[in-house]
Order: sequence, then C-alpha cells, then structure tokens
Amino acid sequence: MKRYISSYIILQAFAVMLLSSCANHPSVPSDTSASSVLPPIFPDYCDVTVPYNIAPLNFMLPADEYDECVARLTTSDGQQQTYGHGVKVQIPESEWHAMLNASKGKSIKVEVWGQKEGKWLSFSPFEIHIAEEPIDEYLSYRLIEPSYIVYDYMEIAQRNLTTFEETQIFNNKVTCDDSKGQCINCHSYQNYKTDNMLFHVRVTRGGTVIVNDGKISKVDLKRDYTISAGVYPSWHPSAKLIAFSTNQTHQSFHTAHPNKTEVYDLASDLILYDIATDSVSVISNDSTLLEVFPTWSPDGKYLYYCKSVPLPEEMRDKDIRATYSKIQYNLYRRSFDVATHVFGEEELVYDAASVDKSVSLPRISPDGRYLLFALGQYGCFHIWHHDADIVCIPLVAPPSPDTPQPSPLDLTMLNGKDAPDSYPSWSSNGHWIMCASRRDDGNYSRVYFAYFSNGKVKKAFLMPQEDPEMHISLLKSYNRPEFMVEPVRISVNEFSKVFDK
Amino acid sequence: MTLKNKVSKALLSLSLLAFILFVVYILYINREVFYTAHDRSEFLFGAPFFHTLLSKPFGLMRYVGAWLTQLFCHPALGSGVLVIFWALIFFVGVKAFRLKGSASALMLLPIACLLTSVVDLGYWVYISTIRGYWFSQSVGYLVMLLLLWMARQTPRKWHLVWYLLAFCIYPVLGWFALLFVLCLVVTEKLTWRELIGIVLLVFTANIWHTQLYSNQNFSDVVLAGLPRFATTIDSTERLSIPFWVLGAVSLLVSCRLTDWGIGRLVDWSFGRLVLPIVCTVAGVVFTCSFMFRDQNYIDEMRMVRYAEDDNWKEVLRIAEVNKKPTHTMVFLKNVALMNEGGLLDRSFKSGNIGFPITNPESLHVTLLEIASPLVYYNYGMINEAIRLSFELATHYGFSPFYLKVLSRCALAKGEEKLEERYTTILHHHPFYGNCLRLPLSRLGHSCQHDGSHCPIGWQPAPVTAKVNELQHSFPDELSGVENSDSYIVNNISFWYESDSKAASEQALFYSMISCDSHRFWPSLRKYLTLHEGDIFPVHAQEAYILFMDKAPEEKRVMIPVEETVYNRYIKLLDVMAKKVKPGKTFGQVAEEMRGEWGDTYWFYYFFGRQYSNTSDRNANEIQS
Repeated sequence: MKRYISSYIILQAFAVMLLSSCANHPSVPSDTSASSVLPPIFPDYCDVTVPYNIAPLNFMLPADEYDECVARLTTSDGQQQTYGHGVKVQIPESEWHAMLNASKGKSIKVEVWGQKEGKWLSFSPFEIHIAEEPIDEYLSYRLIEPSYIVYDYMEIAQRNLTTFEETQIFNNKVTCDDSKGQCINCHSYQNYKTDNMLFHVRVTRGGTVIVNDGKISKVDLKRDYTISAGVYPSWHPSAKLIAFSTNQTHQSFHTAHPNKTEVYDLASDLILYDIATDSVSVISNDSTLLEVFPTWSPDGKYLYYCKSVPLPEEMRDKDIRATYSKIQYNLYRRSFDVATHVFGEEELVYDAASVDKSVSLPRISPDGRYLLFALGQYGCFHIWHHDADIVCIPLVAPPSPDTPQPSPLDLTMLNGKDAPDSYPSWSSNGHWIMCASRRDDGNYSRVYFAYFSNGKVKKAFLMPQEDPEMHISLLKSYNRPEFMVEPVRISVNEFSKVFDK
Repeated sequence: MTLKNKVSKALLSLSLLAFILFVVYILYINREVFYTAHDRSEFLFGAPFFHTLLSKPFGLMRYVGAWLTQLFCHPALGSGVLVIFWALIFFVGVKAFRLKGSASALMLLPIACLLTSVVDLGYWVYISTIRGYWFSQSVGYLVMLLLLWMARQTPRKWHLVWYLLAFCIYPVLGWFALLFVLCLVVTEKLTWRELIGIVLLVFTANIWHTQLYSNQNFSDVVLAGLPRFATTIDSTERLSIPFWVLGAVSLLVSCRLTDWGIGRLVDWSFGRLVLPIVCTVAGVVFTCSFMFRDQNYIDEMRMVRYAEDDNWKEVLRIAEVNKKPTHTMVFLKNVALMNEGGLLDRSFKSGNIGFPITNPESLHVTLLEIASPLVYYNYGMINEAIRLSFELATHYGFSPFYLKVLSRCALAKGEEKLEERYTTILHHHPFYGNCLRLPLSRLGHSCQHDGSHCPIGWQPAPVTAKVNELQHSFPDELSGVENSDSYIVNNISFWYESDSKAASEQALFYSMISCDSHRFWPSLRKYLTLHEGDIFPVHAQEAYILFMDKAPEEKRVMIPVEETVYNRYIKLLDVMAKKVKPGKTFGQVAEEMRGEWGDTYWFYYFFGRQYSNTSDRNANEIQS
C-alpha cells in the first residue's frame, strides 16, 4: 500500500511539473503603482510591426532590476491571456499563433507589470502591430564569434522563423581533421530556394560546394587569370549563372579606434561562373580599382556592384594602412544579356563618394522598385564600422549623369544608433527588410527585421528567441543572414560526402 | 579474529589513511592550479552552451563537469567535492568489483589515476579545450561503477539487457559505457551473451555516428569522452595515460573474480597483507611521477590571480622572492611597479631577465596564453586586450578569466551594453553572482568596499586613472597580426610622442628594455620634460650614463647624475674588461658578475637583453 501511495505522489508531482512547464498564466498584480513609461523590456518589442507568422516575441525585464514580470496580451477581438515566469515572458507557440491569426492587420495590446523589491509597477501599455504580409519561413546564417583571426567551431544554420527550430546546414568540423582547420562561408541561394545554393569552404579541403537542382558538387573556381577563387556570390535569378567577386582580402586591427577591426581588399574583380559548363569568365578586372559585391536585379537583366573611386594621385602608391580610410565605393550596374552572356556598359547608380560615403552590399527589392545597401564613411566591410547604416533608394528612373541622385527613404526606424548595421536584404515578398546589426552592444551582430510597405519602414525588431536571455548568452554573431522560402533539405552528412570524392 | 586478520585490517586502514593524507596533500599543493582551472574553464549559462556540449557524445558528463569546475573558484570546496566523488568511487567500486578485505585497496589505483589526471596537466591548463575535464572523468567513472554494481546484482541471463543499455547510454557515458561492457564481460566466462556484448561494443561508435552524430567528425564519436590533448600546434599522449591505466586497472580488478591473474594473489595470505601497501605505494608513485610541479608555474598563477584583482603589492611580493622569473612574471612585475610606483628605480633590482617556462613537452605557451590580455589592459592597450581575449577565448572557451578581462575592457572603452553582457553571463556563475557570493577578496572589486555583502554580484573594477591615461596616449593605427611580448616592448617604446606622464615613463622603460638608443634618447627627453622637478630615477641614470658612453647623440643632453652611480659604472667597465676574455662565453661572464651588478640596468644591457637583435648572444663565445 505504501508503495502505491508513494507512486501516486510521484505521479501527481510529475503531472503538476508537466502542467506548470507547459504554460504559465499568472494573475495580474492587483496592488500596483502606475508608471508613465514604456516597460524596459529586452528585446524592445514596443510598438513594432511583425508578420503574422513570426515565432513568439518572448521578452524579459532586466534581471538586475526586477524580480518578476507579468504581461497581459489582448487581441483586437478581446481575447486576453497573461504570461510571466520570473522576469521572463515566454509565450507558447500555439497560443501566440492563435493570437496573431486573430489580429492579422490589427494590433495586440501588451500590458506589462514588473515587480521590484516586492512592489509591482504598471508600465504604459504598448502595441504589437500584426502585418498582413508573412515573412519568409526560413532564414540561414553563419554563427561565428565576432573574432579576429582565430576561429574554431563554425556552422551555417537555418532557423524556422515561425518557430524556434534551428538546424545545422553544415559545420566546419565534420570533414576536417587537419590542424589548420576549415572556414565555411558565403552561403547563397537562387531565388530564396534551396535546390540551387552554394557555400564556400576554405583552407583544408577547400572549394565551393554547389547544389545544382539538388545535386551536390565541389568546384574550384580559381583560374590562372583570376586573383582568387569566387568570394561574394550572387545567383542569377533564372539562369544557372553565378556572379562572384574575386578578392584579395586582408584584415588589420585598430590600436585605439572603436571600430577595432578593418577588413579591406588589396585587389578585387568580378567573374561569372557558368555552372553548366564549369567555366569562369571575367566581368570586370580593372587592376587599379576594386569591384565587389555583385547582385542581380530580380529580372536578371542587370548586374549591380560596388566599385571603388580612384584615389588621389598622391595616395596611389602608399601603403593600404595609410589609404584604407580614403577608399570609397560607388554603386554601378551593367546590363546583361542572358542569351549571349554579354554585359553592357557600366552605369553609375549611386554616387556615394560625392557625399563622402562608401556603399556596399546592394540588394534590389523583388519588385525591382527599391535598392537597399549599407553605407559607411569608407571601405566596403561595414559590419565593423560604427557609422554604417542601411540606406534605401527608389529605383524609378534609369540612372544617368543628368538625373539627380535619388533621395534615400527614411530608414531611421530600421537603423540602430551609433552601431554598425549591415548586410541588408529583402524577403521574397518585398515587405520585410532584414539586416545584421551590432546595435545591442556594438560587438555581437544580431538579426533585425523591419516591415516595409510603399517606401515606409516600421520599427525594426530583433529576431525572437525561445528564451529571451539567449540574446545575451549566445556569444556568437549572426553572419550573413539570408531569407529562404524553404529549408535546406540536404543533411550535413550528405554535404560532407562531397569532400570524399 | 586471527592475528593475521587483525594485521591485515590494520595494514589496510593504515594504507587508506596514508593514501587519504597523500591525496589531501597533493590537492593542497595544487590549490592554485585548481583556482586557475576554474578561471580558465568555460561554463556558460543558457541553451547555446548546453546544446553545444550535448551535441556530442559524453556531452552531458562534460556539462556536469564544467558546472562542477566552477567550484574550484574556492579550491578547497572544489577539491572537497572531488574527494567526495573519489570516496564514492571507492565504496561503489568495492561493491561493483566485489572486493573484500585487503582487496578493497585495489580501488586506490583508479583513484590515483583520477588524482593524477588533475595534477599532471602543467601548462595545458591554459590551452586545453576539453570542457568539464576536471570533474567529468570522475563523474563518468562513478556512474560506470554504479551501473556495474547494479548489473552484477542481476542474474547472468540479464546481462544482455545491460549490454544493450550500455549501447543506449553511449551518448551520455561515452567511453565509460564501453568500459562498463568490458568490465561486465570479463567477470564471466564467455558465452553467446558476452560475444553479443563485444560485437555491440565494437560497432557502438559507428552506429551512433550514423544515427545521431552524423554531423560530427567520426573521431569525436569514437571513444567519446576519453581525453585527448591536442590543439592545432600541440599534442601529447602522456596526459591520456592515466585514463588508459584507469581502464586497464578496472579490467584487471574485474578479472580478479575469474580464475585469472590478481585473484590468486589476493587469495594468497601474504598477498593479502602486502596488497594495501603495494596499492598505496603504486598510487603514490604513479601520481608523483606524472604530477607537474614547478614553482614558477605556481607563482605565475598566483601573480595572474592577484593581477586580476589589481593587487599589485602581492604581485611584487611574489616577484621579489623569485630569482628566476619567467617572461610572464617579469611583465606582471613591471605592470605592478607601474601601478605601485618606482618602475625606474626598482625594476632592474629584481631583474628583467625572463627565463623560459618549465616546459618538458615544448608546448606553445607563452605570456600570450598566460597573462597577455591582462598586461595589455593595464598598459591601456585595450583594443589589443580585447582582440587577444577573443582569439584565446574562441579557442579555449569564454572562461571567467576572459569574461572578466573583456568586461573590464568594455568598461574602459565606454561600451556599457557590452560590459553588461559579460557581467550578466558572469553573474550566472555561482560565485560571481549575488546568491552564493562569499566575502573573498579574489572575486571582484566593487563589492569589496564593505568586504562582506554584494547585492549585485561581480562588477569590473573601475578603470584606473593610469589605464585611462595610457589608453588615450597613443594614436590609432592599423596593426598587423603579430602579438607577442616583443610587440608590447616595441609598441610602448615608441610612446615618446605622447604628452602623458605615465606613457613617457613606460616609453623610457621599454626603450631601455629594447636597448635601442634611437628610442632611448627621445624617450628620455620627453620623460625629463614631463617629469620636471622629479628625482631622476636610478635606472634611468644608469641607462643615461651607458648610452652617453656607448651611443651618444650628436647634440648631447647633459643631465646631472649621482656620483655613486657614475663611479659604479666606471667600476663595472673595469671589472668587465678584466673578466671578458677570449674563450669565455657571455653567459659565464654574466654569472660571475651577477652577484655585484645583477641589480643594475647595465647588467641587463650587457647580459640579459631579450628584445634586441643581439638578445641570444649569451651562449656565444667571446672572440676578442
């Protein structure tokens, strides 16, 4: 009998634990003092606009200031639910998605209470606006320490944005026994889909892993007539062609400047890789100038890229350490005939140097109407530049020397303050802008999304995590975030087999 | 009870007591190593670290081990927990291996192996990448023994289930799951069940690799958890020996109950008497022969610990009694003198000649791995300190040492959010947070003011005026990838352009260290300009006299020096002229002169220079 009783107690305890772990719906504090300020939640989700399919926007109050947090979410149709456990608010996925579906095109009201030294404080409520346009379901990125030269474990991962599921696409240890290690980088997809994709592997067993209609191969893109193998890629939207830059990239370190690291090219050109014929042709290889970051227009008729402006005569023979801060890039484009693979004449699209700036990482919206890029004072590797911001310009008229430079849209809601914002991109429906930003602490880059509609941008929000504290505990940067409409289905193991051949 | 039994029991008790005392002694003399172990071991709260470890077999043990390593923040506490694990291993092992009477002393051997494994690392403590190393093996072995004990309580026909269980828990127990199978197999005569167990054992890693760990390198799956000491440039098999011996001893002890081997020795009455003594002696000899013991190794750790706390007096106290300091100790001493004052009066008195570390395996461990982020930080070279901390932490883990330095650097750079991130992570450490915080001076700074209670946990010490002054005293420039002690010397010796008093002192000092007159003269001029009215420091006088003699500038700077200093220089030249003879090496002359002149800059210049083109001339024979 005793045994049955103890078993019953254990079962009961287990059931209680199980139930309590499912969802925590605390009651709203009764005795509170009101505060007129918005809650100091992290991440800051106050008055953001989010897609209706995004994962729960879990958040927390600062643990060193508050002991508990309770949040009440109210949908536009009056449904209410409270959440909170400790200082964290973690919303079950099913409940969250039900609320989002009920609030599509409307808002969810969020009221937050924080307990400090036994007293509850009631903050000003805020709203989360639910857009009618979804975000692409998947996102891939490289997770890497924001380190300098040394790297250890590195992975390219994919995240389901509607949930918190993260899986690995590839890592740099699975095929590497060599003490020199292996660097993996520059994952890229054709038209947001994953049956045509690529990433590079450097150092040990290096090459470019290309998936062509689901078939994996590893190719060496270095030719006698190129300065390097392919580096920054861009898939042609319809043909099996990839434009790459070829780069002699170097890295140096500031001894005092807050930017800390400087990445620059000593030389860079553009090449076109034809997957079908495994042939590499040169697009542009002016030895006196630097061409980098190619990107195709959505119709595939133009190739956009950045190109450096000639240095003043007196600086040309000087060491790069003296001239790096004077190198500025403008944005150009060349027409492309997909039938003949012939490029047209170069056209200046954005003259950044004329306003003493430098442009990098251009991306054109899927409807071809807008152009995003990162803009900083100099150079092209803006993720280390604290002054770097994302800029968006309309692409209404064909560029010509006579037409005035297009005015940038107001992206203050997207850009961080005094922090590097870089690597912008568009979702496949053109309604979500994504960028990598170090705005949280100046060091670790995180993924931010912002709603975009008719040239207007809403307040950016940080990619949600199941545990909001993970934004702090993850000592890795999100590098090169890329939208995908479907997951990469090839396993790490399958990718690794291409190295055995 | 017969006399023989009484003697046997007494010998067992005495042997156990002797072994316990030995363990306590070894742990005590290695307390500084254990503190460093916690300081250089990564344990991060949250899902990313947990999932990273759990993504590999033996990951759970590593996670538990990494958590327990934090206890070494108080070496006595960590050691105590380790001893409890070993005591449990002893008692469970006795049951699992069914050791009776004197034979229970056999369990001292696995414990000796585990003890050895935490005191034989030497400089690997700075570069090991094995997470949770310090506890995971003891925990894993204890779990293995518990399984063995339970398995042997069940009828033999059930053993197949245990073999299957061992296969299933390979992701948790790693190589201990295999050891468990082997130990269980050898306790019985071979039947089809044991054969299945062995076959399963052979294919365990392969099966798990294909089923669960296909995104891992196979070498990380096979014999998972068995420590392998290898970095990109260093590797050793020696440190794996205790674990191979642990496995072998466990197998042999398991065999005891069969008809082979040790069983007969134990059953032999004389054997029963001597076995405890033999086991104790074997354990002691094994541990002593593998243990890394070196005073500089310990002193360096102590200096780093005090330097982390800005306790420069203690750093100097250690430096003063150490006659053959390592390069790291020399740098830390000079940082301490910068902070305590008297750098140019005291530094060469305790010697600036750094000796190589005791390094039997020629590991690539230098100032870089031991203390360079701290040295860079204190010289105001914050960007370098950040970079080095990152480079090293990327390899060796974001341990408290690196998190503390990074936190201080972020504070110095005014990066509040970043500092918050690092301190938040540290606050989840049981001894850096606000829950188990103990009033120990070593743990932090801002909480020490009242010495007792810290409501917010560890906070970086406020940036000192010196660090602040220095970090703004040199212009920004792009540096290359070099990072070594000579990088510090060369960089700082060029700070003579600065108008900072602190920087000018350092520039003068390091221009003296570099023995370069082209840097010395401008450094001296700047120093004298900025320190007008101050007493001309003794070592600066010595350098001035020497460079006036050996490398004067065309336009000489005339400064009055003390007559005693000048006369001493004349005497030195005289003595040196007599001692330097063809056939003698510089090293021999240096040894003869060290007693009288070892406290001068001149001695360093002539015999100890380490950062100039002629730094390795001590072994060279004098030609004329």
